[in-house]
Amino acid sequence: MRWNVLFGGPAGTGPNVLTNILGQALVEHGNHVFYSRDYQSLIRGGHNFNVLTFSNEPVWSNDSEYDVIVALDDNTEKLHRKNLKKSGIILKGEHTNMYFAGRLFKLFCLDFKLLEAQLKKLEKRFDENLREAKKGYDEEKKSVCQVKGQKPDHYFINGNQGISRGAIKSGIGVYYAYPMTPATPILNELAAEQVKNNFSVIELENEIAVVMAGIGSSATGKKVMIGTSGGGYDLMTEGISMAGITELPIVAYLSQRPGPATGVATYTAQGDLRLALNSSHGEFPRIVLAAGDPKEAEELTNQCFYFSQKFKVPAIILGDKHLAESFYTIHEKVEVIPVPSTVRLGRFNSYEKDSQGCATENPEIIKKNIEARLKKTKEIEKESKKFQKYKVYGDKNAKKVIIGWGSTKGAVLDAIKEMKNVKFLQILYMEPFPIEIKKELDKKKVILVENNSTAQLAGLIAEKTGIFVENKILRYDGRPFLADELKKEIEKELK
Amino acid sequence: MSPQNLNTNCPPTWCPGCWNFQILAGFKKFLETQDAKNCAMVTGIGCAAKIFDYVNLNGLNSLHGRVLPVCLGLKVGNPKLNVFGFSGDGDAYAEGMEHLIHAARYNSNIKYLVHNNQVFALTVGQPTPTTETGFSDKTTPLGVKLPPINPLKIMLAAGCGFVARVFADVKQVDAVLKEAMSHKGFCFIEVIQPCLIFHPDTGYKEKTYNIQESGHDKTNFTEAMRLAEQFDYSGIKSDTRIPLGIFYQKEKPVFEEQLKR
Ligand SMILES: Cc1ncc(C[n+]2csc(CCOP(=O)(O)OP(=O)(O)O)c2C)c(N)n1
Repeated sequence: MRWNVLFGGPAGTGPNVLTNILGQALVEHGNHVFYSRDYQSLIRGGHNFNVLTFSNEPVWSNDSEYDVIVALDDNTEKLHRKNLKKSGIILKGEHTNMYFAGRLFKLFCLDFKLLEAQLKKLEKRFDENLREAKKGYDEEKKSVCQVKGQKPDHYFINGNQGISRGAIKSGIGVYYAYPMTPATPILNELAAEQVKNNFSVIELENEIAVVMAGIGSSATGKKVMIGTSGGGYDLMTEGISMAGITELPIVAYLSQRPGPATGVATYTAQGDLRLALNSSHGEFPRIVLAAGDPKEAEELTNQCFYFSQKFKVPAIILGDKHLAESFYTIHEKVEVIPVPSTVRLGRFNSYEKDSQGCATENPEIIKKNIEARLKKTKEIEKESKKFQKYKVYGDKNAKKVIIGWGSTKGAVLDAIKEMKNVKFLQILYMEPFPIEIKKELDKKKVILVENNSTAQLAGLIAEKTGIFVENKILRYDGRPFLADELKKEIEKELK
Repeated sequence: MSPQNLNTNCPPTWCPGCWNFQILAGFKKFLETQDAKNCAMVTGIGCAAKIFDYVNLNGLNSLHGRVLPVCLGLKVGNPKLNVFGFSGDGDAYAEGMEHLIHAARYNSNIKYLVHNNQVFALTVGQPTPTTETGFSDKTTPLGVKLPPINPLKIMLAAGCGFVARVFADVKQVDAVLKEAMSHKGFCFIEVIQPCLIFHPDTGYKEKTYNIQESGHDKTNFTEAMRLAEQFDYSGIKSDTRIPLGIFYQKEKPVFEEQLKR
């Protein structure tokens, strides 16, 4: 059974703390939890909500209907009541978020001790919070479900935290950034870890400075990551090109949100696949990896560092707002590989250069340089075979294939869970692309699921394999797919 | 000191007699007193930036306008490295202006030379932010309408801890670099480098004088501002005076020394 709980209220009333407390307690109690955040680009007021979905089986996404609504203001009820299930419960009234925490714990048969432990972690205003929570706990008379109660080895983590962990485990030396949602939280994550892990987190005047300083530090042998969203990445593109010709490693985290331009700052999209693949002038090898959950975010960030250092190329880790800021329950071991640092300071040039590192216009040297860089494309391709470039879920022999990349993975997995004769193919390596997926798609009914309006992955598949995917489920309103709705759409396509 | 050969096999492509040769010679002379293995240079794009090809030093020939963030990256990566940046005035004051202001603020221990020929030379002579009003080239047949900016005043206002100007002369370049080396922090050094082709030298050198010789106290900010105002880049007139020397010097906390603390 999947339970969907919505927490809504104006910014500043603490829906996030509340969602986190319940999520953490459920995970620590052996349940699987997923929660996503829907918030506006403002600091106080407005309407923010989180949807938390939990079950005793794995969950990766939310549904469109709620079992419980926690309304921290009247607006929440007004906006979301229509999506409350018939048997659903609404918790409302003039109360603090901790009062509601108490009621929820009772409702879900969670021991009060668990709540107390969560409040202790918060540190701030413990006594006051405890009093409020106790009041809520005592006043709630119903209990709706029996949640699991064993100690698991699960943990609760969002995509940005996964990326940060991947960078730290790869031996990051410097993280340069300029704040931009949804990449900003990485700044917080990494800044908090810098002293303990002996690296630096540096904010500069703009994204051009960020990428260029990154290249400077990379030239000294430091492992560098930079992070931003589409708008900031646009500014970085001259630097990515510079990394291409100087053959200096750099990892760029491109956390997508809807564009063009400022687009929709705090919502989600997969509109920058082509940007990641094609950005920057000139021809040079690069790596583009796309993560579908925080575990993959950690592993693929590590692989970006690995490839970037080994082949001295720019590597882009693609994520989006939905992955970056949603919390997932992870229950598998993360696998990271060591990343040796490969660069020694020498003479690097943005111009084609001769053996002394001086600018040259000699046609033979130009040709030789270009071919040397192109050769790396082949070597990267070969090395990439050691890694899982795509994953297949569900019935391996199925005749029907859902194909996607990045954060749509969660909703797809949940949507097809009970479907027969359907598998899900998730592409992790956008560049070097797993051309071998051709055999998985040939003579099959293929349905593409993407969070954009032009089906960018379909274009890429056509380019790489010659297969044209006809059936497309696209969402481009800034919102992520919801499992129950997606399930219906897939069923419609499969008919 | 390192016996490293500072020459490359790359023949200079500057115009014969270009003042850039003086800057090159001055830098090399200075390097003879340094451990060159521990020095790195970063250049932008333009005639000035070609100096990268003529000195066999580690570093990066960067992009147009992007000298300073790359210098900062080197200092963050290896704070012990002595880092020298070279830009033209287009590089520094047009394409790279935002970095220049912030470099003064960060105060990383970088020595930055701006070859100011008051023109985009490599792209054959368009006006830069320091070109005088009335200047005309093929792109500005109606003449430049805007007044030139005063980079020294900007650097002083931005809080730069070392603001100097020299003429493109071997001795002056060598000497100012030695002064800059003993200053811990960002050093802004403008080098007056008249362009023989696109912004002909109408007698710059004769109009210069040394402010240290005339008793300027380089810790006096107000006086530094006044001297910076003395030459406004509006071309050479009979009463033009171009002050040279160290206008202002003050030590401040250094960017890379404050990391991880
Ligand atoms: C991003 C970018 N824009 C434009 C150019 C073309 N460009 C090359 S050199 C140059 C002007 C250089 O002028 P300046 O920095 O004053 O140096 P100078 O040649 O006068 O020494 C320009 C605009 C470029 N290389 N990169």
